[in-house]
Amino acid sequence: MDTDSFTKLALRVLANEATEGDHRSLKAELTLNPERREEYEQLRITHDVLRTAAPMADAALAREPELPAYRLNELRSAVRQHFKAEVLRDKETSSARSLKLFLRWLLAGGGVTALAAVVIFLCVANRSIEVGLYQTDQVRSEGASIEPGDVPSAKLIMFDQDTPFDQWQSQPLAWYEHAKIWVDNDHDLLHIVRRVNHGQIIMETRPLAQTNDGQRDQIKQVVESLQSQ
Amino acid sequence: MGTDRELLAALKSGDEAAWEEAFRRLYPSAFAAARHPLASLTPSEAEDIAIEALTLLLPKINKVAGFDELRLLVITIASRKAISEKRRQLADKRGGGAVTSLDAMQDDETMRFEPAERLTARLSGSELRELSGLLEEALAALELRHAGMLRDFLVNHLSYKELAEKFQMPIGSVGVNLARSLEKVRAHLQTSPKLWKELNAFLR
Repeated sequence: MDTDSFTKLALRVLANEATEGDHRSLKAELTLNPERREEYEQLRITHDVLRTAAPMADAALAREPELPAYRLNELRSAVRQHFKAEVLRDKETSSARSLKLFLRWLLAGGGVTALAAVVIFLCVANRSIEVGLYQTDQVRSEGASIEPGDVPSAKLIMFDQDTPFDQWQSQPLAWYEHAKIWVDNDHDLLHIVRRVNHGQIIMETRPLAQTNDGQRDQIKQVVESLQSQ
Repeated sequence: MGTDRELLAALKSGDEAAWEEAFRRLYPSAFAAARHPLASLTPSEAEDIAIEALTLLLPKINKVAGFDELRLLVITIASRKAISEKRRQLADKRGGGAVTSLDAMQDDETMRFEPAERLTARLSGSELRELSGLLEEALAALELRHAGMLRDFLVNHLSYKELAEKFQMPIGSVGVNLARSLEKVRAHLQTSPKLWKELNAFLR
């Protein structure tokens, strides 16, 4: 069979124009001449490509019909749903990203550093010592009374009324405080409220020095000993 | 909406007016693709397919670099969906596509959709653009009469008898003419070896 006749026969088969005889002839030709198989395959591929792609190429040039107006709402809803879902996805992604960054920071040592900073802060914080004094006692007594410069590591709080002084005394130690001290001139006592191990708070009293100078030295010593604990 | 670039940017940001404009512009192509001759769906069926194909552009918008790509994309989607729909309809008619023997399977007319389904599923927008250009050039290089005959055979699915009547030639000459024209088109497609190789890979 010459090439022209073979191509015509093969095309009839591909185009569903073939008779039963054509089918038999093609089968026989392909059996007798296996090299024709590739020829047939190439024709089949060309035929299939053109049958499929030619209408698609034409579709690119189509300018009608217009989009039916009654289908617009359907399309608008699809747009809204899609972008709403996308915004939610973005939010989730953003939250996941923040969590991921946080975990990475935590695992990379940032958390340990922050924890250490907190521990150090707490250690420093609860070294704070307050010394409460009644102002009139200081004025009335002889000798130099205590001044902030005498106990730089403590905080001097001066009271000029009983009520706030009493309130201050009865108030428990704040979380950042290590101790508080006050002078009780009525009973000649020095009161010390302080934290001991494991956060336990104890209160002790000591006889108060008789003079202002003595009291100043006494308070300085107590503050220093508390600082060193 | 201004340029295609501006339109694409608005589409990516979810601008509803931009999407409406895009749908209006793309619908004719989507509808034409849904009326693919291999599928031969009714206008109403094709309309449903075209609308579905348009909505399927939404998740792909961020992967598209130009507005023209959307047109090619909607064409491949609508063509594939139309051909699959036709195949499904035929399979349903035949009782869910159940076949009992090899002969029955070979006779199954839904098999004729396989190459088109494979091609539309794998043909990218850029490949369709290149293929369309090559086809246009190849058909333009043919004699007008032969190009018309080939187009009627491939696109309009006219039979040999109908072609013989339309082009007033003996039915015996129809096959010869079509075979020669097809050979010329194939030779032209092979001038792009990469694309031809891809097409062979899709359809073997």
